[in-house]
Amino acid sequence: MKLKQGGKSELAFVGSLFLLGAIIFWDTWRKVPPELNLTISPKVFPYGIASLLMFLSAALAIQVLRGDVATPEGEEQGAVIEKSDYKTFGLVLGSILAFLLLIERAGFVIAASVTFFGITVAFDNKRHLRSAIGGTIFITIVYFAFTQFLNVQLPAGIFERSK
Amino acid sequence: MSSFNALMEGFASALTWSNLAFGLLGTFLGTLVGVLPGIGPALAIALLLPITYTVSPASALIMFAAIYYGAMYGGSTTSILLNTPGESGSIITALEGNKMARRGRAGAALATAAIGSFIAGTIATAILAFTAPSIADLAIQVGSADYVALMLVAFTTVSSLLGASQIRGFIALSIGLSLGLVGADLQSGLTRLTFGSDAAMEGIETVPVIVAIFALGEALYLASRAKEKGWNVIPMKGKALMSRDDLKRSWKPWIRGTFLGFPLGVVPAGGSEVPTFLSYSVEKKLSKHPEEFGHGAIEGVAGPEAANNANAAGALVPLLALGLPTSATAAVILVAFQTYQIQPGPTLFLTNGALIWTLIASLFIGNALLLILNLPLVRLWVQLLRIPRPYLFAGIVTFALLGAYAANTSIFDVQVAIVIGVVGFLFRRFGMPITPLILGLILGPNLELQFRRALQISAGDYSTLWATPLSKILYIVLFLALSAPLISRLMKKVRHKAIK
Repeated sequence: MKLKQGGKSELAFVGSLFLLGAIIFWDTWRKVPPELNLTISPKVFPYGIASLLMFLSAALAIQVLRGDVATPEGEEQGAVIEKSDYKTFGLVLGSILAFLLLIERAGFVIAASVTFFGITVAFDNKRHLRSAIGGTIFITIVYFAFTQFLNVQLPAGIFERSK
Repeated sequence: MSSFNALMEGFASALTWSNLAFGLLGTFLGTLVGVLPGIGPALAIALLLPITYTVSPASALIMFAAIYYGAMYGGSTTSILLNTPGESGSIITALEGNKMARRGRAGAALATAAIGSFIAGTIATAILAFTAPSIADLAIQVGSADYVALMLVAFTTVSSLLGASQIRGFIALSIGLSLGLVGADLQSGLTRLTFGSDAAMEGIETVPVIVAIFALGEALYLASRAKEKGWNVIPMKGKALMSRDDLKRSWKPWIRGTFLGFPLGVVPAGGSEVPTFLSYSVEKKLSKHPEEFGHGAIEGVAGPEAANNANAAGALVPLLALGLPTSATAAVILVAFQTYQIQPGPTLFLTNGALIWTLIASLFIGNALLLILNLPLVRLWVQLLRIPRPYLFAGIVTFALLGAYAANTSIFDVQVAIVIGVVGFLFRRFGMPITPLILGLILGPNLELQFRRALQISAGDYSTLWATPLSKILYIVLFLALSAPLISRLMKKVRHKAIK
């Protein structure tokens, strides 16, 4: 049987959802609830949700095998699904991860500026210098607006000691 | 007329200079973010949540009401000029309004959308003000078992009616429910799904999930489709004004849209998609110019826009009176309430009466500010549509990450946000709706709490779950909603007809 375009990747996705259900089931099973006189054990809901998730993803997998492949958001049903652009995707994801790594080490201004710049590069902006400078100025304004006017704390990072 | 007096007091506390300033700022920021392409009201509010973290509850609420209406207004501007609806309720506006704009009638389309939203918002808020307290009075008698049934109905309708496939909707819901399980169980202290992480013990925060699933998910999805071309902004000629003839053709659709939208917001009917499509087909049937529909008929913008706004106000009824959100936007508002330590529900009018009336008064004020501010400023908002895509996405993503981090200054929240961002990407790629996930995460823990409470009272007798008349009715509704493939086939017909 030949799958429709996009079917294989969707099966992998649905399979991982089934696995998630199985993990929830296993995690619930291995836990020992405290000896309390509870009418409803804290395991009832996790078991229920895990079973539901496994049942539904199995049912969806059957649907996909039968040819009901998902329509990506914003596409017409039956339209040819274009191949994903993993280079741009990777750049955006990398820029987001950079924020995670830098926020508490280097501070908000540096972390957010790196993320900002990375995403402009990913979305094919040609003027790198302009976006780097513009982005950093924008982020710095945001930083001061939040910390000074709105009293929202953001890490100063490497600029902290110079204060 | 105690509601009336309470409302007047609400106006008194909302109409201070500093609160008005917050209202203006909220209108401005709400429109600013809402007008950005691809950002619907739910995300706009979530992105702006950090701004309200440190102001006083009353000021935060008025700002927040202004953001809410501003974001809705901004969204329709983008739909008309750019044909990129930020949420399902704006699809029709994009469809018909964009056609009007192409015919050089952008000004009239924007004006009918703005004035229609204002009128619908005002009428609907008035109905809200006078019905929500009495519904809350009734709701105090609603027991735990009824709540269980209510939540199950909300889950089912939202999962079945949104998106193309029922099963995908329910999968999205189960994932949301799973996220809601994470952390230490409040009753027994049993840790669930933490896998040894201390930070996960307190559960998963909703703010990072919401900003991530909308903003990061969208950015990643568009990145994977980066070859797509940019946007085509339709130049606007003249002012955002309507002719006498436009007004004559608009006012009836405004009123009809309002009365279609409000009740469908009160009952969990799966958000604003159904009422806007219904309003569109009603207007098409009643119109003297049915041939114009699909080519830019002003009634096709006026009715659905009014329905969309009235629907949003209608959704506040179950939210305020029962603590039950029925759309993504309502869910975000619930989260916003919780950040100010306010728990919506039947007792809300008793415990936080003054604050709620301030909020309702703020809705009126926000709506009025919007009309005064935005019709003249529309050219400024149009300029925003010219921001190059790379800058736009960079700004959205960094703001989303800021929001995720600043909620609790927690690095764990950023980790959660990134994982959820990837989930949001996968959901878009594989056609899964997002709203059920958000409702599952927010209501899941509540469902478990009420379920246990009901069974504790009955000492473990499960028949208590369907013992009351209300719960019996609700389970019948649930059954009907489950047979929704039938209804959704009907919806497709309506939609098909509407688009033809």
